[in-house]
Amino acid sequence: MAQILPANGSAGEKIKLTSLLFMGLAHILYLKEYLKGILFAAIEIVFICFCPAIVRKIIALITLGSPQLDIPVKMRSNSIFMLIDGILVLSLVVLFIVAYVLSVQSAEKSYKRYCVLKHFPSQKASIESISGTGFPIAGLAPIIVLLLIFVVVPLVFSVAVAFTNYSAPDHIPPAKTVDWVGLANFKDLIGGGSNWSHGFGRIALWTLVWAFLSTFTCYFGGLIIAVMLRESKIKIAPFFRIIYILPYAVPVVITMLVWQNLLNGTFGTVNRTLMAFGLISKPIPWLGSPLLAQATCIIINLWAGFGYFMLLAMGTMTAVSNDLYEAAKIDGASPRQILTSITVPLVMYQTMPQIIMSFTHNINNFGIIFFLTGGNPATADSTTTMAGATDILVTWIYKLTITLLKYNYASVIAVLIFVVIAPFAILSFRSTKSYKEGTV
Amino acid sequence: MTNYKTGQSITRTLLMIFFIILSLFVIYPLVYLVSSSFTPGNSIADIDIKPFAKGFTTAHFTYIFHKTDYKIWFLNTLQVAAVTTVVTMFVTALSAYVFSRFTFPLKKHLLMSLLILQIFPSFVGMIAIYVILLRVGGFDTLWGLELVYIAGNIPYNCWMVKSYLDTIPRSLDEAARIDGASHFLIFRKIIMPVARPIMIFLGITSFTGPWMDFIFPKMILRSADKQTLALGLFSFVTDKKNDFTLFSAGSLLIAIPFVIFFIFTQKAMMMSMGAAAVKE
Repeated sequence: MAQILPANGSAGEKIKLTSLLFMGLAHILYLKEYLKGILFAAIEIVFICFCPAIVRKIIALITLGSPQLDIPVKMRSNSIFMLIDGILVLSLVVLFIVAYVLSVQSAEKSYKRYCVLKHFPSQKASIESISGTGFPIAGLAPIIVLLLIFVVVPLVFSVAVAFTNYSAPDHIPPAKTVDWVGLANFKDLIGGGSNWSHGFGRIALWTLVWAFLSTFTCYFGGLIIAVMLRESKIKIAPFFRIIYILPYAVPVVITMLVWQNLLNGTFGTVNRTLMAFGLISKPIPWLGSPLLAQATCIIINLWAGFGYFMLLAMGTMTAVSNDLYEAAKIDGASPRQILTSITVPLVMYQTMPQIIMSFTHNINNFGIIFFLTGGNPATADSTTTMAGATDILVTWIYKLTITLLKYNYASVIAVLIFVVIAPFAILSFRSTKSYKEGTV
Repeated sequence: MTNYKTGQSITRTLLMIFFIILSLFVIYPLVYLVSSSFTPGNSIADIDIKPFAKGFTTAHFTYIFHKTDYKIWFLNTLQVAAVTTVVTMFVTALSAYVFSRFTFPLKKHLLMSLLILQIFPSFVGMIAIYVILLRVGGFDTLWGLELVYIAGNIPYNCWMVKSYLDTIPRSLDEAARIDGASHFLIFRKIIMPVARPIMIFLGITSFTGPWMDFIFPKMILRSADKQTLALGLFSFVTDKKNDFTLFSAGSLLIAIPFVIFFIFTQKAMMMSMGAAAVKE
């Protein structure tokens, strides 16, 4: 291979084709980057060695096994293991393709550099450049592996399950197999007609109402208290601030279970207190009747959440430059004008990303609902769907998964939640500074 | 002038009354949490509507320590929280440093996928995590739970730390690079000390998370000696039995450190939350 590589760019096609032919081949043959080439080639060799296994796993992913009623349960092929393994293998194939593309790009880049410099970098320099790229790879490898196994594969799995009939009682491995069913689950849940789609519509609507109202009440509740504490000029304002942050400090599991007991319809202390004061004559079913239970959820969530937004608003007001207030004062603005046309709009503008984040957080706010009401009270479709009047989509997912073993429906809901939330997340991402400045 | 002053003092009094009423509403359930953990009896029905009116006992605390697995739950949770925190801090800081300081192919795609992954509540993939843990032998083990926590928190934390590191001037590390310092040395000796505030914040959030989580321990941990506090406390007040006083006593022991911690850090938290919001 002593031929001289033309430095006028005419060999670009040749380099590209060679590197496409086998990973790292162009590095070794033409570019004299031997170590890099060998590393790339090693990746491809390993991949080829595993090819038969990979193909087997992918075929299993497509068929998900066939019913084998004649052999013992333990020996039957497990559709769910097939599904997981198949997705894992697929993600490895994707990684391999990415590595392949990178190797071709790297070869082309090396050639371009050669065309400019007219000579190859020394072996020492080329090894140094590998250790230079080695650091980012080593730094990212742990998170990529962890994310792949515990976040990406589970998510892809969930999406896949939405298109299967993986559910009790007839399709639970290993005794029975699971099959692909296309859009049937989506039709069950949003097609209308059945208890399931009725339940889904009801819960989806309540989830949105819940997310909107709980974000709205906590945000403005916190903002109003923050403004009042700041403007009142009361000496012990910091003391009140500490009191108001307490609900945020104690874990939700604890506070919500306490509230659940206090609000208990028959022997809860809230009702007993109100009756002792003669304010009510018979117990109020705080968590017992659908509409009242929903209202209670919003109020208790306000109790738990306004402290956070109060802190946020106070912090923002303190961080807003004092020059602004000074300038307004010099221009003759009254304290009220400063408050309504400077402080509040500014705080609202600055905390907008947190409002969006809080909305998405509330859509997924498992803890408050699950520990406060457990989704109860029951409604018309509860016997089939297990979902009560205060259940939101995530708590329903939990019930579908843990109690009813309707994994297919749970996955459909997860997919739908994602479709609703993703735009909000991308919106809040676009409002960040680093995105606007294009440094990402 | 006097009119204005009386008007102001009336408003101030009204505000004061409002703040006091609000405080009562806020501490109402917390007062019962404290009082019922010292009240004889079991269920919420045994608690008098006047806090502390039905006598005083420390029997529930004795019971919790001697008759239940509270100590095991506590140590398990502590272990999970500690391991999660240490690994999360190291792994997240390192990758955030790479994202902030290096340019490499696919960087933009990786960052975008972190953002998208962060939207999913991590228990959406619950069934898959269950099966994967079964396959790698991590089912019903604390390290399985730790892995799930560590991985689940990466997307959000990575973004958070990366954004913070972006605000640290590059001239700092470039000067060191010219002097021949290695990447890891720069990371350890230059970036980490400057990034201390965000690392402390990361440490706190990763440490407090496992104390409150319920879903994953419920799914992953089965044996009696592998339970965490959230599971244990929840088991006191299931539908079948209502040991509200025991639950209160156990919860109080957890709540107190949390409350003390928040009281000491709330001012600093307020400042940093405000500063972060204004910076964006």
